Amino acid sequence: MSQRLGPPISPLKHSRKARICQISIIRIVVLLILILAGSAGITFKMLGQLPYVPQFTESNAEYTEFYDLDKVDGHSDGWMKQDRILFCVPLRDAAEHMPMFFSHMRNMTYPHHLIDLAFLVSDSKDDTMGLLVTMLRELQNDEDPSIHFGNIEIFEKDFGQAIGQSFSDRHGFAAQGPRRKLMAKARNWLTSVALKPYHSWVYWRDVDVETCPPTILEDLMHHDKDVIVPNVWRPLPDWLGGQQPYDLNSWRESDGGLQLADTLDEDAVIVEGYVEYATWRPHLAYLRDPYGDPETEMELDGIGGVSILSKAHVFRDGAHFPAFSFEKHAETEGFGKLCRRMGLSVVGLPHYVIWHIYEPSTDDLKHMEWMAQEEEKAEKRKEVMKVYKKVWKAGFENVQKGWEDERLRVLKNSDPVRLSRNVRVDWSD
Amino acid sequence: MSGLWSLRRRISYAARRSPIKVFLPLIALVVFVFYMMRSDTITKPNSRYKYVREDTDQFQLKQVPGDHISHYDLNKLTFSSNALEKKEKVLILTPMAQFHQEYWDNLLKLTYPRTLIELGFIVPKTTDGDETLKQLEQAVKDVQSPKKKVPKFSKVTILRQDSEAVESQEEKDRHAFSAQKKRRSQMATARNSLLFTTLGPFTSWVLWLDADIVETAPTLIQDMTKHDKAVLAANCWQRYYDEEKKEDSRRPYDYNNWVESDEGLRLASQLDDDKIIVEGYSDMATFRPLMAHFYDPNGDQSVEMKLDGVGGTCLMVKSEVHRDGAMFPNFPFYHLIETEGFAKMAKRLGYEVYGLPNYLVYHLNE
Repeated sequence: MSQRLGPPISPLKHSRKARICQISIIRIVVLLILILAGSAGITFKMLGQLPYVPQFTESNAEYTEFYDLDKVDGHSDGWMKQDRILFCVPLRDAAEHMPMFFSHMRNMTYPHHLIDLAFLVSDSKDDTMGLLVTMLRELQNDEDPSIHFGNIEIFEKDFGQAIGQSFSDRHGFAAQGPRRKLMAKARNWLTSVALKPYHSWVYWRDVDVETCPPTILEDLMHHDKDVIVPNVWRPLPDWLGGQQPYDLNSWRESDGGLQLADTLDEDAVIVEGYVEYATWRPHLAYLRDPYGDPETEMELDGIGGVSILSKAHVFRDGAHFPAFSFEKHAETEGFGKLCRRMGLSVVGLPHYVIWHIYEPSTDDLKHMEWMAQEEEKAEKRKEVMKVYKKVWKAGFENVQKGWEDERLRVLKNSDPVRLSRNVRVDWSD
Repeated sequence: MSGLWSLRRRISYAARRSPIKVFLPLIALVVFVFYMMRSDTITKPNSRYKYVREDTDQFQLKQVPGDHISHYDLNKLTFSSNALEKKEKVLILTPMAQFHQEYWDNLLKLTYPRTLIELGFIVPKTTDGDETLKQLEQAVKDVQSPKKKVPKFSKVTILRQDSEAVESQEEKDRHAFSAQKKRRSQMATARNSLLFTTLGPFTSWVLWLDADIVETAPTLIQDMTKHDKAVLAANCWQRYYDEEKKEDSRRPYDYNNWVESDEGLRLASQLDDDKIIVEGYSDMATFRPLMAHFYDPNGDQSVEMKLDGVGGTCLMVKSEVHRDGAMFPNFPFYHLIETEGFAKMAKRLGYEVYGLPNYLVYHLNE
């Protein structure tokens, strides 16, 4: 009995025990509050010495700004941490792709006000500029304020070009070196002028992407890499097999590639996906498994430019798209090589795919022309057959039915079963 | 155990006596916890991520009118021999480990209109840097404050470095050959950070001026742009007191302006990819002709010489060179690093690099 109730407690002891109990409860509650407060954003990193921060205002110094670059570096959950993205889009004769591009922009789930848009319009003969401004105005005046983007800057700069913009012009082997160097210059002009000290990320995106998840920025960002690219494929017409890897510029260096590089002269540019340069490199595009884990990462040495997310410090540190032959590569592939040289992480996602539009090549166009001709021919033949049949019908009597009867009769006559009837033959002289 | 037991007894007793005393705090606690746990996040139908509920836009861009779209035509940007007449904008960039009043005074003496000058500084993240920043802040406020009736610079940007701090530059052993690669690599990163965040759409020229350049001609910008060169380095010397001759004298200081030599090329061809060559160390004699030694006191100031490597002490660069991608490699680029690597990269991009052997600027004497 006394065991259960415990020994008698003196009033003093009793109150002390109760107090200990109360204190421990208060401690637990305080701890709980601290944990909750910590999750609410109060950090205790603020202990320790803080670096000095100068105070510049309009009243004590005009046109003066101060930035601590340490504070702006990108986070893996940048959309929660108010990371600003510089969204770079190089444009050249891109009017036809503009509506599709803007529908993608509208759907983006990354907080739009954290995205600063920078466009570089160069050497355009169509109304890229006019359409761009119209569509941007429409976007920024949308009734829903969450559609509005941050700062928008359009830059114009012509670089001149020796090469046409059709698929085969652009993708022909001979055109690659000079073309890539010019495109690299265009990209560099854009970042060098658009990058501000407060940007945490830089995203490069081509306008001619057909299908792309609205969460692309978050999907790439949460990997927390210096430079990261998705896999880029393109849909194909059924007669070409339905789908195909598009971006062959994302690859891992191989011994074959290095050996090839050694044999080339200083200004040569190796481009992937051409038989002239057999490098035997593993390509990101070919490693895709439609049922693979989209989170899978792969280290890369060269990358393609359709959709690149990189931390802003990559560009601040000096990485750029080489407009000269850097280790035998230029533009985005050279950018990948340069980043690796600077000790940055360059990663691709083999099973996370975005889809580039399908632009038919010259051969495809020829084939499609041939197919169209064939179709036309078939149509014509049908017409001819109709007339032909009519004439036929009018010109000939259909004796099919009569022959059926006739045949039956003939067969009846020669039917061996029926031969059993009594045929009398007179054999006498 | 018995403490808890007694507590339970006390609570049940109190609950019977005056329920409000027990339940009110309990309810308050529950409400408090709910309040704290209330999610600050929202979800979006087409996303698997969580987002902040209240978007606070620190740049107040939401208030910007919908047709606020900046438009710049970079085709109109010029870099010409008569910069002043064409009102070309010059960006003066200075990595600043230490603030020297003489540097600032000299900067204020420049006669190029301040409305056409933008300034950019980057300060290392060290305790020394804190001191530098305070001095710089005061100096900037003395000029840029609206109360002061002096011409204002068109823009001033001050950055605090994010990369690991460059160790104090005072120490003599920092100049040791072995430490050069790391020190100059960090310096290159600082220069790039400064350059690529301050280069604006109207910048025609970039003048790299080290924080310890204390004496230049007041017409420095006009003098250097006049040559119309993509990359142009002034000859950097130093004034000192000659103890032997008991008189003021001067001597060459910046050895990074040089012409490539056969010996230099031969040395480079034997080195591993990640090794660098730096000038001014006997460990690695390149026999490169150094611009610092080509000074002729009686010669024409506007004499030009072709260079292959440049220093950053006083360097005028057309902004198109940087915009095309020429930066300061923080890794060995053709065995060259920082400003010398920059010269190589500018040449790879098809630009010519020049120096002015008879045009002197003076380095501080420590």
